[in-house]
Amino acid sequence: MRRIGAAVAVASLGVASLTVVGSSAATGPALIRITSTQLRSAYVDVGARGRSVGDMEVYTGALYNRRITGKSIGRTELVCTNTFSGVRSCRGSYNLPRGKLVVGGTLRYRELYQLAVLGGTGLYDNARGSLTVTRIDKSPRREFVVFRLTG
Amino acid sequence: MTARAEPVVTSRRTGMLRRTFGSIAGRLVLASGAFALLVAVAFALLVATVDELRAANAREARAKEVTVSVLSLERLVADLDTGIRSYAIGRERQFLRPFQTARKEIPGQLSEFRRLTETDQSTRALAGRIDLEIRNYIEEFAIPLINIAADTPGAATGEDAIRADRERIGSIRRLFAELRQIVDAESDASAEAGSDRAREAVGIGLVGFILCATLVLLLGLYLVYSIGRPLRAAASGASRIAEGDFTQRLPERGPGEVLELSRTFNRMAEELAERQQKLEEQNTQLRTSEQLKSELVSIVSHEIRTPLASVLGFTSLLLQRDVTDDERRRYLEIIDQQGKRLAGLLDDFLAVQRIEEGRLELVHERIDMSALLREQVQLYEAQSSEHALSLSLPGSALLVEGDGDRLSQVIGNLLSNAIKYSPAGGSVQIEADRANGRVRLRVRDHGLGIPAGQHDRIFTKFFRGDAAQSGIAGSGLGLAFARAVVEAHGGTIGFRSAAGRGSTFWVELPAAGAR
Repeated sequence: MRRIGAAVAVASLGVASLTVVGSSAATGPALIRITSTQLRSAYVDVGARGRSVGDMEVYTGALYNRRITGKSIGRTELVCTNTFSGVRSCRGSYNLPRGKLVVGGTLRYRELYQLAVLGGTGLYDNARGSLTVTRIDKSPRREFVVFRLTG
Repeated sequence: MTARAEPVVTSRRTGMLRRTFGSIAGRLVLASGAFALLVAVAFALLVATVDELRAANAREARAKEVTVSVLSLERLVADLDTGIRSYAIGRERQFLRPFQTARKEIPGQLSEFRRLTETDQSTRALAGRIDLEIRNYIEEFAIPLINIAADTPGAATGEDAIRADRERIGSIRRLFAELRQIVDAESDASAEAGSDRAREAVGIGLVGFILCATLVLLLGLYLVYSIGRPLRAAASGASRIAEGDFTQRLPERGPGEVLELSRTFNRMAEELAERQQKLEEQNTQLRTSEQLKSELVSIVSHEIRTPLASVLGFTSLLLQRDVTDDERRRYLEIIDQQGKRLAGLLDDFLAVQRIEEGRLELVHERIDMSALLREQVQLYEAQSSEHALSLSLPGSALLVEGDGDRLSQVIGNLLSNAIKYSPAGGSVQIEADRANGRVRLRVRDHGLGIPAGQHDRIFTKFFRGDAAQSGIAGSGLGLAFARAVVEAHGGTIGFRSAAGRGSTFWVELPAAGAR
């Protein structure tokens, strides 16, 4: 937990594309605010034709922190599997300059959803918290990505 | 040189300090200075406390303003939230009005909020975070949510949307709560500090008042003790002196001016006592002099009247009667004798007058006192058949420098007295010699003598002792005249006498060439 706070602090000083707020304690919470622009998406129709249980959706996008730089600071990959009643079970990772954050959970709408932060690598090793994604634009699809790391 | 000079400088400083603060004026200046310092310190503390109180009140007022601003912002944030959630549910533009109104007001309110919180580091940082959170909420969540609600209503009203909204609003509210906590703590601290300062101000004022009152009281007591009491004592002493008690003295103690007053008072009392004593002495002398003058008038009247009566009587006799040549001659001799007696009296008076006025003029010539003595002894020997005058002289001349006539008068006076004050007759021894550069002569009689109580006044003018009552003629000027003449010649005159055993008068004069 200490490493996460330290990592977030270090990242916020460089071009690590993080916006850290309130890391008052070594294990304190951190906030990472970035945007993503979807680059590609694929729909894998499994089983019955059309949208059905088991179908998979794969998305990839570039990550930006436009407060610091206009260049991409990382990549995101999200793989979702349709379950019942329009709900998708998703897993994804956000590759940031100093490590990865791995997220997972279910979502119904990609316009606004929340996933759990399951862990991470590098500076985000053993990270916990939540991810909130809010769509900003439809085409190209742009989203606000906010990580609330609790420790 | 320096090492020697230091004690002198220190001593001078000490003396100057003693003079400065040993006086009432110096002590009053010192007390006034201390009083002024005390008042100044009390006022300075009071002003400082009041200033702190004012600062505490200002902090409290600012805290209230911040609280009001926070409440306004909270209301606006609530309006934002209400607006977007209503719109997400109802999707009618009118539901967005609270959001739109709040969005317009928020920049101004945030600006005011930042202004109020910028003076304090803790609130400034927290206000910055609130500002950022609100702006992010609008830009990153509220506006996108409105757009999402327009095309994907389910997403805008879904659990994730509600949770995300709650998280953001909750985050903002937690920041507000944190800020309010800080502001409330500051407000409480300011109020407590203000209360403390107010208590301190009251305490300082009370202590300052007590100290000032005590100092004034002590100063008053000091003035009463150091000025009032000595002044009362001086007034009482002056009153007693006015009543004639010149023994009155004041204790010589106290501060400079009082000490000086006491010393001056005592000097004045001493001088008054001395003057009083002198006045009394002069008064006694005047009374004595008046008595002597009265006696003189009586004596002179008697002395003049007797010869004058003889002169007038025999003159009348010569004019009215036919007398023989022998009788005429005898009468004329009497008139001549009495006239000379009158002239002698007048000479004595004039001589005394000149002595008193310091105009006694002496002729300086070499005189043989032996010759003068022989002349005078012969003269007075012829006047009295009842007295045996014996003269004892050395073989050599007794030369002195002086006025022969005046010295003859001195010898004559001494011989005259020896004869007059030996009414029963007897021997009168006159001796003279020279020793130690001085010519000495003595006239010794065996007559009445002089009582011891009159010895100190025997050379006083007009003093005649009991002579007048004894019917012995005289003016009381002879011895006074003799002493004046002898002393004018640089000599001395004296006597030994006892009542009933006669007197010995002696004169010493510097021998000629011995001076």
